[in-house]
Amino acid sequence: MIKIKNLQKSFGDLQVLKNITLDIQSSQVVVLIGASGSGKSTLLRCMNFLEVKDAGTIAIDGKEINAEKDNLNLIRRDMGMVFQHFNLFPHLSVIQNIIEAPVQVKKIKKEVAIERGLALLQMVGLADKVDYYPDQLSGGQKQRVAIARALAMEPKIMLFDEPTSALDPELVGEVLETMKKLAKEGMTMVVVTHEMSFAKEVADRVIMLSEGEIIEDGLPTEIFTNPKHERTAKFLQQVL
Amino acid sequence: MEFIEKILYIFEKHGIEFLKAAWITIELTCVSLIIATMIGLLFAFFKVSNMKILEKIADVYIFIVRGMPLIVQLMFLYYGISSVFVLSDFTAGALALGIHSGAYIAEIFRGAIQSIDRGQVEASRSLGMSYMLLMRRIILPQAFKRSIPSLCNQFIIGLKDSSLVAYIAVSELYNHALSAQASNYMPLETYFVVGIYYLILVLIFTLIFKKVERKLDVGKR
Repeated sequence: MIKIKNLQKSFGDLQVLKNITLDIQSSQVVVLIGASGSGKSTLLRCMNFLEVKDAGTIAIDGKEINAEKDNLNLIRRDMGMVFQHFNLFPHLSVIQNIIEAPVQVKKIKKEVAIERGLALLQMVGLADKVDYYPDQLSGGQKQRVAIARALAMEPKIMLFDEPTSALDPELVGEVLETMKKLAKEGMTMVVVTHEMSFAKEVADRVIMLSEGEIIEDGLPTEIFTNPKHERTAKFLQQVL
Repeated sequence: MEFIEKILYIFEKHGIEFLKAAWITIELTCVSLIIATMIGLLFAFFKVSNMKILEKIADVYIFIVRGMPLIVQLMFLYYGISSVFVLSDFTAGALALGIHSGAYIAEIFRGAIQSIDRGQVEASRSLGMSYMLLMRRIILPQAFKRSIPSLCNQFIIGLKDSSLVAYIAVSELYNHALSAQASNYMPLETYFVVGIYYLILVLIFTLIFKKVERKLDVGKR
């Protein structure tokens, strides 16, 4: 589904991604782990071109994407993204947040979009918050709205950039529950997270990044019980 | 006591014509501020466009307008424009005031747009929105709301600055004060009265803005 080859990215003198090659299959749940500064968020952001790569290729559904020539807006429609800080639109109500892109970008009829939006809110357990504004919601609720907003575009793949890192500990569970539900439904997901329990339970594949390189790539059971690389072992020791 | 008598005399003698002049001041202010808001929006867009040439154009415009006294610009534009086009004094005055306030309003809008969290752009982008769409639907509504207090301030300055077009023969409030004090030989009292008119106009403006602020919940994000 996403094929990344020899991807490189630098910010100034700092090379954040060194030669990343990665192939993500449809319906796979991939969890990216690694210490902060290891490049995992940058890698995720390169996948929907919020960061522009310096070198290498990214192909989606077999088609190599050229960030200058191709219409990135069309590509991003099929990729949902969930951010650490939610990034809900504060001037729009919950339902307006959800239907904004379907109506304005996909030109779906408003009534249809609302109907689908309500179903999505049901799915994330917020059917009673339809007309609330983001600042009236808790962090966990905001993030679930953000997930519903991304799903409203009916993406083929969902990218999660540390979706629970900004949440109070007691609110993490509700967001992870929603993500598990999504995984069960067969959604292709790439998740940057520090929630190792989620990785263990839900991931089909765990990828460990260190200093801009993939140093481990395999089944969660393998990596958590028998890491090949010393740095992985050390990292896991610190977070588990 | 004599002062108060003179004031009352001026109200009696010039009250109605001052009222008419005040109306022209209001018209002049409104027209010029509409022009200024459009110009401000355009140049604010230039400034955040990430296109060097547009940014430069906006910089030059703002530099020139902010760098010269309004009265100089007013005279320059008045004689400049009216030597090429046939414009009424009112139109020339409104245009000049609009071009002047536009520079300040451009900076207000630019600041408001840039104060919106980057995450808003990223979220919009990730949903497949184009630049124009996310500007129109996501950034500008939030930026506009945030700019209202400064905009209010600038509008009041614009109202008071409109007094300067008296010197290009627009018969607004200050222009009437000039001619009235020349005929009644009571400059102190005349300017006092015209000051009161301006105070009342500013008060009306302020109240309207307060109402708009409350309606839009400007304090909240």
